[in-house]
Amino acid sequence: MRNGLIAAGLAGLVAAAVVSAAVAKPAAQAAPAQIAACTNVSIGFLGPLTGPAGFLGQEQLSWLRFGVQKYNKANGTTFKVALGDTQLKAPVARTQARRFVSDSNVLAVVGGSESQAVVVSGNLFEKADLASISGSATQTNLTNGQFRTFFRVVPNDSIQGPQVVTYVAKNLKAKNVVVIDSQDDYSLPLASAITRGLRARGVTVSRESVSADDTDFSSVVANVDSNVNVVVFATQVASAANTLSNQLREQGKKAIVFGTDGAYSPSQFKPRIGYVSVFAPDPHFDPNARALIREYNRYSKNKEFGAFGPATYMAGLVAMTAIKNACADGQVTRAEVTRQTRRTNIRSIFGGRLRFSAKGDPLPTKFVIYKISNGKYSPVG
Amino acid sequence: MSEHQSPSPERPRIGVDEWVASAEQRRERTVAGRIEDAVERAPAAAKLVVFALPFAIFPLFTDSEYLTQVGIDTLIYVLLALGLNVVVGWVGLLDLGFVAFFGLGAYLYAALASEYAGRHWEAQFVVPLIAVAVAATGFLVGLPSRRLVGDYLAIVTLFFLQIWLVVLINAEFTRGPNGISDIYPLKLFGREIVSPGGYYYVTFAAFVLVVAFLYLLNRSRTGRAWNALRDDELAAELMTMPVNRLKLMAFAVGAAIAGVAGALYAPQQGAVFPANFDIVLLITVYAMVVLGGAGSIVGVTVGAVLINSSLEALRDPDDASWLFYVAIVLGLVLFMRPRWVPLVVLAGTAAFGLVVHELAEQLRPSLVAGSTFGTARVDEVLDSWVLLPEGAIGQDGLPAGALARIAYVGLVAAILGLTLIRNRVWRAVALVPVLYLGACVWENVLVAQPAVARFVLIGAMLVALMALRPQGLLGRQRVEIV
Amino acid sequence: MDWDKLVQLLVNGVTLGSVYALVALGFSMVYGILKLLNLAHGDVLMVGAFVGWGVLGWLGGAQDPTVAVWLVIVLMILAAMVGGGLLGVAIERFAYRPLRRAPRIAPLISALGVSFFLQNSVLLLFGANFRSYDSFDLVDVGVGVDWGPFHIWVMRIVVVVSALAMMAGLWLLVTRSKLGKAMRATAFDREAAAMMGIDVDRVIVKTFFIGSALAGAAGVLVGLVFFQINHFMGFNYGLKGFTAAVVGGIGSIPGAMVGGLFIGLAEAFSVGYIEDFTRGRLGSAFSDLVVFLILVVFMLLRPQGIFGKPEVKKV
Repeated sequence: MRNGLIAAGLAGLVAAAVVSAAVAKPAAQAAPAQIAACTNVSIGFLGPLTGPAGFLGQEQLSWLRFGVQKYNKANGTTFKVALGDTQLKAPVARTQARRFVSDSNVLAVVGGSESQAVVVSGNLFEKADLASISGSATQTNLTNGQFRTFFRVVPNDSIQGPQVVTYVAKNLKAKNVVVIDSQDDYSLPLASAITRGLRARGVTVSRESVSADDTDFSSVVANVDSNVNVVVFATQVASAANTLSNQLREQGKKAIVFGTDGAYSPSQFKPRIGYVSVFAPDPHFDPNARALIREYNRYSKNKEFGAFGPATYMAGLVAMTAIKNACADGQVTRAEVTRQTRRTNIRSIFGGRLRFSAKGDPLPTKFVIYKISNGKYSPVG
Repeated sequence: MSEHQSPSPERPRIGVDEWVASAEQRRERTVAGRIEDAVERAPAAAKLVVFALPFAIFPLFTDSEYLTQVGIDTLIYVLLALGLNVVVGWVGLLDLGFVAFFGLGAYLYAALASEYAGRHWEAQFVVPLIAVAVAATGFLVGLPSRRLVGDYLAIVTLFFLQIWLVVLINAEFTRGPNGISDIYPLKLFGREIVSPGGYYYVTFAAFVLVVAFLYLLNRSRTGRAWNALRDDELAAELMTMPVNRLKLMAFAVGAAIAGVAGALYAPQQGAVFPANFDIVLLITVYAMVVLGGAGSIVGVTVGAVLINSSLEALRDPDDASWLFYVAIVLGLVLFMRPRWVPLVVLAGTAAFGLVVHELAEQLRPSLVAGSTFGTARVDEVLDSWVLLPEGAIGQDGLPAGALARIAYVGLVAAILGLTLIRNRVWRAVALVPVLYLGACVWENVLVAQPAVARFVLIGAMLVALMALRPQGLLGRQRVEIV
Repeated sequence: MDWDKLVQLLVNGVTLGSVYALVALGFSMVYGILKLLNLAHGDVLMVGAFVGWGVLGWLGGAQDPTVAVWLVIVLMILAAMVGGGLLGVAIERFAYRPLRRAPRIAPLISALGVSFFLQNSVLLLFGANFRSYDSFDLVDVGVGVDWGPFHIWVMRIVVVVSALAMMAGLWLLVTRSKLGKAMRATAFDREAAAMMGIDVDRVIVKTFFIGSALAGAAGVLVGLVFFQINHFMGFNYGLKGFTAAVVGGIGSIPGAMVGGLFIGLAEAFSVGYIEDFTRGRLGSAFSDLVVFLILVVFMLLRPQGIFGKPEVKKV
């Protein structure tokens, strides 16, 4: 039993160390004078850094850090990024949201990346008057007025769904469509909305479903009849869309894959012929943004990125501009940062200017549809 | 450790029975033994008060809602660990579907008190109702366990968890992966609880009740029968114990506790999603039970507190660094004998680092051109001690070149190799470069990705713990009769 | 009756099933000898897939390989087998061997720890992006067997044939060689085998090496034929592989093969027909449910599996 007591002592010591570290830290941080000078300001990042959607959060974080470094250099600010890994889990997101709320250095949050995280963190941020700006949460009801301090730089699914429907039914003149969801909170509502829309236009639609950790879709592909023109895949994973299109080709099916915004990735989704809708024009195709991409590629060794990273870069830019404006007018409070966020009017890397509607949606909003032929992307509408 | 210090009568000899029988006398001779005696003789109520006191006063020390939230999360984890302990620690059944009961409790709360369900029942009815309903489900899931032994039971329960998740994600009435996000707050005797502090104390009350219940249960006839069953099922059966019924009861009790945890957790979150109840949660709860010591109420509680608070602390690179170095030093000081050895090893590591750093600076300056990731004061010291190649880590936090990856794999190999060295002197000598490599890998690879690093550490901790001390921190060593 | 679909599903099921069978073999061999459920087995497959991906990149990538394509594939599989095998040996040596005399729950928890550790280490080292084998660049989709309206891509044939070849090799090894004899003896009664002068530890290490090498090869096959790999793919394959082992009869090699094919076909056909079967009430989302239910039914009605012998409890 000596071992037991020693172990208990060890446990007690570590527990004491952990608790005292945790308790001592926020107390030492609460120094309003520093914030007034805008020298010790953090921007919280709320997104999945681990777990099955880790690739999404990591890409966003990389772009956010890139943006913060660039902005600090250009404006002489010293903004920092505080991490809040949600693990793609709502309860974790809520705890992390509380952490940002309790940390008085955090003046704005970039995220939550996934709609679930926004659902559980929205009212906490609202109560603290803390602005949160998401670069990827597209669920429609997030901006129905329930979260006053939530903004997003990407348009929502109520715009994406109909736009995809119109393009598939009108431009592609599809008669038979298969809609596939990937059983997650992003995919299911979107797939259902597209299914409804297409049926309303008289298109024959059948629904299929793959689970998020499937790597083989060949049996789902076997369900795609030979008269099907288009397969719409609502997925967050670009390489899954690529596998689907490969397996359609393998089984000699003529159907074209139409990916939703999660599938956007010129480096991973490379069908022979396909379409993908995305919430923002790809800066790769924008001559004005080429310098930015070159700069990012110098910054990060990981050259693969889809649409999520640049959008989060924008969200970070919104947050930093708002904080800087708040610092300039001397009222460095979260409420003031939120007010400044609402009044955002900055040049968007996607072209034009970025402003927010009263409910926090970006203005103006439109998804862009790209045609992919032999892996080459070109905007078509 | 006692093998080296105590005289021979302390060690088990031929005639083990006598040795076991004299356990009482041996205990009286040591200080630790006498303390333990005193603890055992104290009245149960007093023990409970002392045990619960730290949890009761925790909110008084902080006004941060974040820490209160961490406190609530910890208490929920403690409840889960206590429930799992009944099944795993007391009866010895491997239940891999345990978190499904937690989810069931949460979803049942959502069904009884949410805008979606259109009703708002009061907690004093809801929570007992859920406990009973989830216990009944546990009973049903446990039914196969009558026929299944050991590993087969594990896999059937794992499939139960998978089936539960498939249904949750795809069924209409659970709203699929979007979850139920308009859950009403807990209403207790007409009063709604909205503040984190309120939820903390409600969860705390549940914790106290569960601990008291489990304490009494463990001392009851059923509890003793469970222990007998765990130690030797065949013998228990021969003693005419109703083995099947006992197993089912354990399943039901464990499930009920998880259900209560779920019922308290849903209103506090305000939303439930299928993804909340998955394998990662399962492994975390298992880690808590095993670290603390399966079978001991105090043990699993300590385990849950330790793991959840370290996981939280490891989120921040600065805190994580402190924790990492403090844990290493503490570990060395506590587990190396004689006392001066850890000091020598630590001094040796420091000197070794300085020499290597100096050599690298002279020969290959690029190896020390980088800077540490963190911003704490300790990093300034570390800057001139560990090797920090420039750009070993891309600014996106991933290893940019092969060097960092090789170092990581090399470290894992080195630690494994270290365990193979039998000679204590050589082991201490070999420890020096391994510690230094560990610090380098930590500063270059792990600290940039605290979110991932903490899971790596949890995994490694589970393996190491099983190899070194399978009974956990506070568990009792079981004598396996072959 | 839609014959095209039926045959296509058969092809899919056999491909998937042969991968499951390879995983199941590893499970089965280890369980047979140690009575140990190696929950980290799926993650060995995952690591094997990443080793193969690394070799592919090292040989110039799928578009422009520096050596002949068949050699690329062979080298990938061999490297993954060696990598997986060594990993398996390391897992046995450091996570399981210290626990031979521990309560039965200890190695299972150790296995959970290994699985967690491997997944997150790969995440740490290679990032969270899904990786693609780009197999169409390696072998064009047009290359394959044409039979009426059917086209079977040659990669599927490669996968099935190499899986069958490995299984046949294993079968010969176990039934004909001295090592095989030792393995069977150890599985039958470890203590008696030790008394007969068999070095049980060595047999166990070799078993782990062989079983894990098969899993590593399976990882490469998955990447080749299904294109994408990621750090958490091991769990799913491990689970299905284990199901296959149980259905076939754990500890039995032909059982693992038959079980693998059975689960693969069950999965393919449930995706293909669940909607017709339930008149549209349940979609392909519920196909996993079918596989799990098969397992549960099997466990309850015939826990020893198709080829297993009922266990006699000795006191």
